[in-house]
Amino acid sequence: MANKKKENPESFPWLGRKLLWVDKPGSPLKLVWILAIVCILLGLADFTYNKYGHFSFENVPAFYGIFGFIAFSCVIFGAKALRFLIKRPENFYSPNVVDAEEYPPEELEKVSHDDA
Amino acid sequence: MMMPDQFPPAFVFFVGAIALLLAPQGHARSALTLIIPIIAASILWNMEPGIYDRVEFLGITLELTRVDKLSTVFGLIFCLAAFLGNLFAWHVKDTIQQVAALLYAGSAIGAVFAGDLVTLFIYWEGTAIASVFLIWARRTEGAYHTGLRYLIIQIGSGVILLAGIVLLYRETGSLAFEKMTLGTLATWLIFLAFGIKCAFPLLHNWLQDSYPAATVTGTVILSAFTTKLAVYALARGFPGTELLIYIGAVMTVFPVFFAEIENDLRRVLAYSLNNQLGFMVVGVGIGTEMSLNGTASHAFAHILYKALLFMSVGAVLFRTGTSKASELGGLYRTMPLTTVFCLVGAASISAFPLFSGFVTKSLVLDATAENHYLIVWFMLVFASAGVLSHSGIKIPFFTFFAHDSGKRPKEAPTHMLLAMGATAFLCIFIGVFPEPLYSILPYDVEYHPYTTSHVVGQLQLLLFALLAFCFLMRTGIHPPEIRAINLDSDWIYRRLLPSWISAISVAINAIWSKNLGFWTRKVDALIVRLHKSHGPEGRIAQVWPTGSMVLWIAVLLGATLLVNFV
Repeated sequence: MANKKKENPESFPWLGRKLLWVDKPGSPLKLVWILAIVCILLGLADFTYNKYGHFSFENVPAFYGIFGFIAFSCVIFGAKALRFLIKRPENFYSPNVVDAEEYPPEELEKVSHDDA
Repeated sequence: MMMPDQFPPAFVFFVGAIALLLAPQGHARSALTLIIPIIAASILWNMEPGIYDRVEFLGITLELTRVDKLSTVFGLIFCLAAFLGNLFAWHVKDTIQQVAALLYAGSAIGAVFAGDLVTLFIYWEGTAIASVFLIWARRTEGAYHTGLRYLIIQIGSGVILLAGIVLLYRETGSLAFEKMTLGTLATWLIFLAFGIKCAFPLLHNWLQDSYPAATVTGTVILSAFTTKLAVYALARGFPGTELLIYIGAVMTVFPVFFAEIENDLRRVLAYSLNNQLGFMVVGVGIGTEMSLNGTASHAFAHILYKALLFMSVGAVLFRTGTSKASELGGLYRTMPLTTVFCLVGAASISAFPLFSGFVTKSLVLDATAENHYLIVWFMLVFASAGVLSHSGIKIPFFTFFAHDSGKRPKEAPTHMLLAMGATAFLCIFIGVFPEPLYSILPYDVEYHPYTTSHVVGQLQLLLFALLAFCFLMRTGIHPPEIRAINLDSDWIYRRLLPSWISAISVAINAIWSKNLGFWTRKVDALIVRLHKSHGPEGRIAQVWPTGSMVLWIAVLLGATLLVNFV
């Protein structure tokens, strides 16, 4: 977009400016590493206290962590397979469907952050 | 004329709706929509347990107000939801939406306090009729047709409920709304009516069809009442019904997959709502004091965090004109407060420690484990990881972070921020201090959610799942957000049944045409034949000369003379 106006991050709200850190190069990877370290610590934490699960397998170290990782992956792979089967264009049920129509603009206040 | 011995909280909303029409449009009217739920809440907070407002109607006694701990906790959260929803809708100047929101909330509260099934039915239909206007208020062709589908299903639920009530009255002679046991046609019909409103699997799609079609503020209001009224009705009518455990377990799992690939974020939240209802239904099915407390507390917390999520996506829709994930991203830059509130809602629904979902959902999960429903327990833990995937990550990540859509909308208006801020505060308050909520639950159960085992286990579940998300995103395996819809059970009544009806109609038309053609041809042939033989040119006409006619008259005359005189 050649005529896109140059953006001034200083015009963002204070909190928005602070959060810009997440988009700096390398930040996402840093966050992933922090998360991975926290996960390892949480897994190790299971060795430091007595677990009183209702089921015996709950006492396996990092049981919930491993289950969470696998369950989340299953959701994603299952959802991808489901999308293959049931995905249709937005106007599939047209006419008279909300998916293919714009939200009435008179009900909205579409204002840019730097508008007066 | 009825003299109420306890002014029914629902009537506050109905009187308020009339007063609203008399108030001038503007801040005064918006303020009135906030005062009404406060008055109703103060009335019901001070009500002593008991049955009030008995009314004779067509020879039967209606009990308009039955107060106990179960009805009070649902009544309170409905008042709170009405207040927060109306605060979010402060800017709305549409009388239809304002009145509909009040009548809808009033009907839901009336149903919760109904002591008999007829009163329940009246309010049950009241919620259906009032709520559809929150969809129609969008004023588009799509919303009109969606609203019609919604209304047919909701009214259908009421008609089935009425049929069940009539049969039950014939069988037992009682209309009391008490615990029922599945077995007769009457109880099955009532169960089905509750199941439709509760969005049981395969009866669920009215929810995902209609909620994204409502107005920005209408969806926030809609999310609070109808389905939680159904959960209340199940908790009142069918606690301990084992079938509900399995229905609820399926409800927690299947929407997870649909939500993950849905593009419209308000529909994602509708699937997520369906998933959360499953936990409540499981709690009702187990039927112990602990699990029913779990259902009531989870409904309470759920109404708040679900409203908060609908508010944050609604604020984005209000500012950008879209709620589609494929069109959004990077909004944290200019809508940081909405982002934070959305993250609070996401953490609450995902049940992170210190957030409301953690202290309520664990009651249901522990009740499931204590009663040794191993497979159901696995399904619920699986669904808990699934909740994180769509409501915990997808909603905030693809709206406010992820790829930069280039949209730089202004932060949400002040009243929306206030509504979201207050709701977010309550989500955290309940999470940090669960005792006040526990103290208003139906049963006195001592429960401590913050044990080391529980906190570490839940954090492991969620953070390892988050790690899986990071891994799948960075490897490109995570499904992208694309402009599309996904088929669901509504395809049956929007495509399959109409195509069958169309095919049957074509077949009947063809048979009728052939049948008609056959007989028309037969009659035509007969007329032609008669015309040939008896027409002016026919052979029989040719042998009828005038002379022969005179001869035959002479013969007839002769015969007459013979008969008379011989």
